[in-house]
Amino acid sequence: MPSGLASYVIRRLLIVPVILLIVSFVAFALGRYAPGDYVSIQAGPRANPETVARIRHDRGLDDPVYEQYARYVWNALHGDFGVSQHPRGVPVQDVLFPRLWVTVQINVLVLAFTWLIGIPLGTWAALKRGTWLDPFSIGLFLFFASVPVLVTVPLLEWALVHKLGWLPTGGWSTRHILGVKIGILSKHAILPVFVLTLSGVAGLARYMRSQVLEVLDQDFVRTARSKGLRGDVVVFRHVVRNALLPIITIFGFELAGLIGGSIFVETLLGIPGVGLLAFESVGTRDYDMIMAIVLLGTTIFVLTMLLVDIAYGFIDPRVRSGGSAG
Amino acid sequence: METRKLVYVLTGVAVSLIVVIGGLVLLVSGGGGGDDGSSSDSSPTLPARQQGELRVRGADPITLDPACASDADSASYIVELFSGLVSFDKDLKLIPDIADHWDVSDDGTVYTFHLRTTVLFADNSRRVTADDFKYSMERSLNPDTQSTVGDVYLDDLAGADDFIAGRADSVSGIKVLDPDTLELTIKAPDPVFLDKLTYPTSFVVDKNQVKDANCSDASWTFRANGTGPFKLANWDLGNQIVLEPNPNYYLDPKPALSRVTFLISGGSSFTMYQNDEVDVTGVGKDNVDTVRDTTNPLNAEYHTTPSLSVSYIGFNVNKAPFDDPNVRKALAMAIDKDFLANNLYKQLLDPAGGIVPPDMPGYDSTVDPIKYDPTAAKTLLDSTGKANDLNGVKILTAGQGAAPDDVLEAVTAMWQQNLGVSIEVEQEDFGLFLSDVDQGSFEMFSLGWVADYPDAQNFLDLNFHTGNSNNKTGYSNSEVDQLLDQARTDIPEAQRNDLYHQAEQTVVDDEPWIPLFFARSSYLVKPYVTGYDVPAFVIPTLRYVTVNK
Amino acid sequence: MSYAEATVGLHAGEPLRARSRLLRRLLRRPVAVAAIAVIVLIYGAGILAPVIAPYGFNEADFTNTYAAPSLSHPFGTDELGRDLLSRAIWSAQTTVIVSIAVVATGALAIGVTAGLVAGYLRGAADAVIMRLAEIFGSVPTILLLLIITATLRDRVEGWAESVGDFTHQSWIVSSGAPSYVLIFGSLSAFGWVGIARIVRSQVLALRETQYVIAARASGASGPRIIFWHLLPNVGNLLIVAITLSLGSAAAAEVGLTFLGIGVQSPHPSFGAMIAAGAPLTIVRQHTVLILVPAACVSALVLAFNLLGDQLTDVLSPRRR
Repeated sequence: MPSGLASYVIRRLLIVPVILLIVSFVAFALGRYAPGDYVSIQAGPRANPETVARIRHDRGLDDPVYEQYARYVWNALHGDFGVSQHPRGVPVQDVLFPRLWVTVQINVLVLAFTWLIGIPLGTWAALKRGTWLDPFSIGLFLFFASVPVLVTVPLLEWALVHKLGWLPTGGWSTRHILGVKIGILSKHAILPVFVLTLSGVAGLARYMRSQVLEVLDQDFVRTARSKGLRGDVVVFRHVVRNALLPIITIFGFELAGLIGGSIFVETLLGIPGVGLLAFESVGTRDYDMIMAIVLLGTTIFVLTMLLVDIAYGFIDPRVRSGGSAG
Repeated sequence: METRKLVYVLTGVAVSLIVVIGGLVLLVSGGGGGDDGSSSDSSPTLPARQQGELRVRGADPITLDPACASDADSASYIVELFSGLVSFDKDLKLIPDIADHWDVSDDGTVYTFHLRTTVLFADNSRRVTADDFKYSMERSLNPDTQSTVGDVYLDDLAGADDFIAGRADSVSGIKVLDPDTLELTIKAPDPVFLDKLTYPTSFVVDKNQVKDANCSDASWTFRANGTGPFKLANWDLGNQIVLEPNPNYYLDPKPALSRVTFLISGGSSFTMYQNDEVDVTGVGKDNVDTVRDTTNPLNAEYHTTPSLSVSYIGFNVNKAPFDDPNVRKALAMAIDKDFLANNLYKQLLDPAGGIVPPDMPGYDSTVDPIKYDPTAAKTLLDSTGKANDLNGVKILTAGQGAAPDDVLEAVTAMWQQNLGVSIEVEQEDFGLFLSDVDQGSFEMFSLGWVADYPDAQNFLDLNFHTGNSNNKTGYSNSEVDQLLDQARTDIPEAQRNDLYHQAEQTVVDDEPWIPLFFARSSYLVKPYVTGYDVPAFVIPTLRYVTVNK
Repeated sequence: MSYAEATVGLHAGEPLRARSRLLRRLLRRPVAVAAIAVIVLIYGAGILAPVIAPYGFNEADFTNTYAAPSLSHPFGTDELGRDLLSRAIWSAQTTVIVSIAVVATGALAIGVTAGLVAGYLRGAADAVIMRLAEIFGSVPTILLLLIITATLRDRVEGWAESVGDFTHQSWIVSSGAPSYVLIFGSLSAFGWVGIARIVRSQVLALRETQYVIAARASGASGPRIIFWHLLPNVGNLLIVAITLSLGSAAAAEVGLTFLGIGVQSPHPSFGAMIAAGAPLTIVRQHTVLILVPAACVSALVLAFNLLGDQLTDVLSPRRR
């Protein structure tokens, strides 16, 4: 690895813990600053207010925020990220990881399909410029890329579950394959994967289309063609070269936004993934779980972005000097 | 140039990997989806159903620790896995459980329980003794356990306060006379003390298993070793809970099911029922029309039972203008409860006139409710001159969501239409809601009350006696207090009920609450399941159920 | 960041066409016209809501629940007899308020200023702003939005209440201002990053042009250069970015409200309508309840994205 790149990577890596600390502290402080906490929620209406106050105190929730935070960080560094509140008393990781696995399964499939379908589709659309298919495909892509998931899910549910009866009403089912719990190989996975792939493919296809068009318009293609070289080979090589960078960026953003992006789909369909867990945890003021999710999400995001930038660094030397891509 | 090639190669490899994996996935999912080809829902894949197994859609419990459970979902599992001195049978009668019989002293403060001598823990390790009870009950009260419910049900015990405050090492009111005899002393005679002992906080747990785990350490509950009719075969977090009969169970009838599977994740319970994936389902207002249709075969499987609960709107009687009983009355008279129950809720609820629900001992069907009369309501309100003070008043409710309860929206719309006042619904999240209600920072609030035990005292005394911690409205009426105090003493039941009738009528007239509905459980049960009834509140019922399939 | 915004960002630094006669050029394109028409329609309805909505957002009519479309209720009514058309119009008002507030604060006020300052001044200011952007941008946005709105709302409303009590202005609380402020505040807090980066790269490119060097040589001061010389040229890219931001802000508000942490009842929102209409049993029996808000939201977001596309076409020298 060229030394410029190595020091760049190291610089970036050093910032990661700083970012994690800042973000986690903000999340922590917000959680504690909000009125209501899990003790009073769980105690319910019957409980004696004095008992609730006592327990809150015993759990350390009355201590100043920075003290609680310091305790949290200290424990975290020892691998103890606290216990969840729903169900109560289970280490946070034991609840988080199975849920994360569900979301990962869905999103890996989504990413795979998005790429596998989006790239060729976009390229094909570009090559159809001038025909009626062109505005049609632009419109179609834009439609599916714009319409929020919030809207497409109930409508697709109506069509596929109610009218046609092909798919189950939501939820998730798993089976064990080679000792691993796989949920993605069931009918329950089809709707979430389909919905997310739809918007992903649309966006990617749009982008590929404009990239390919850009290449097609360039002089060297025309020159090459006039010389008798096969147009598509030339196009392909140059498209790949030019499109690679932004595609990597886009891929990075998708991966990075894994948790956030799943919240709506999982909430609407009742899929036990990490997005739904985040939503539930905020509602139940499950502090330790919220923190764990925030840390996880931020780490994924930051590391993914770093990987993207490293790829940039390999491909485009201008970036390494800390230039304008900021 | 070389590095670029490397990146291209890497990208190519990555893409190929994705293709291969994706292809595999598609192949395998196309081949065997694990579903039985039924129409709308494929079954969550589980071991095949076995003979005599009950499958139900279950709630996700917060905890299975008897000392810590403060919610009904958790309690519903706990009562099947653990047991205590006494419990309720199917007909809501108090029966001996681990305690074989007991004596009560003349002054009503000392209960001596003689335990069965043959009750073993589910893992066959040892016999349950009075020491185990002392351990378990003290654990519920122990401040180190951090239970929010221990003192609610056990603070009647003498010495409990000292123990909780740390002034004593143990609870003086819990005495082990010998391995089979437990003596409990309470501070003052209480006709419902035995009822409170049916709650999980008094259940026995295995000290060798629990050791010193508090409410924040649930690891032992996954291997729970209790004395209840069932034992925990498996708790797959977020997925399912499986119970199997406890071979050491001692009461009759013993569990007849071979297994109970609670499916926690999954789609609509109703659809699963229609696909024969679960044997029981609740019926909600979206499905009830289908089910009530007598031409529908499902109709034969439809049952409803009353559940001992009331939903209500509470006033802060110490805050103007709600300190004026006429204002409260006017608001009550402007609500058409029949319309709400019949149209909005399709008769799944009964409009409530009084406080105590039907089927509750102490229920008074002759209570004279406040009737719906919009014109009289408006006149009454105008006569108080405080109609304007009601504009902008907030009714507090727990919830988080874009749309609050239909009922509250309908009620505020009725107030708008009938009285011309605009009252808003304010949603707060549950924790904040509870603390606001506790501190009296509200004008009106909406909540429900579910019975802990079948006695009118649970509804009337706890909510309306001056100074009771559950009395959130601040209502105080010395007449009512007197009636309630008298009812707390040891007098014949008919007399007690009479006192409660009087108290209830006064409360209804004073209207610190507007009781809205009495709830009912509506559900479908497959014909091959016998003995299944949804109990009015949380009691163990699964041992009465048989599945002939 | 959507694909569209990523695309815009990646074109930063390219030479741009003059903005003169932009509107005329735009109006020659039928697609652009259609998009503008949709936006005008929905935003117009939102702005004029108090005047044109036949019923209130929460006006219930129990005798007429789940009514079919009719003259008095063109879209029908919902389970409490509320007119769906009116609900949609009032919801549009919320969309207008929130999206404009977010863009005005986040994108414009904060984002543009940050980008201009960072790009022109470079050095320490640049470093600080870019670090901040990195931190704000590193966060899984929705997650933090979830936490912020869920946790802070009660506090904000508490403050609003005390301010309202103190100044005897009850409208502060009853108008729902706290919720709105919280939403657009938090959306802005994260939304400025994209715009700032775009503006900054544009400024970096422009900085070294003859145009700016000449201005500096003639003694123009920093702020003057920023406002008179840089800003107008950044403008093109900005127009596109703003259009797209309006769309995503509208979508974000709908999403947050749907989750229950955005605009609170009884204040109107498409998110609330979607939440009411989304459960499958409701979709089965009363599909119109979800169709109305779904159509409105989709149309609006689509229109913004289309317009953004068209603007890019018109403003950039590349042929399409």
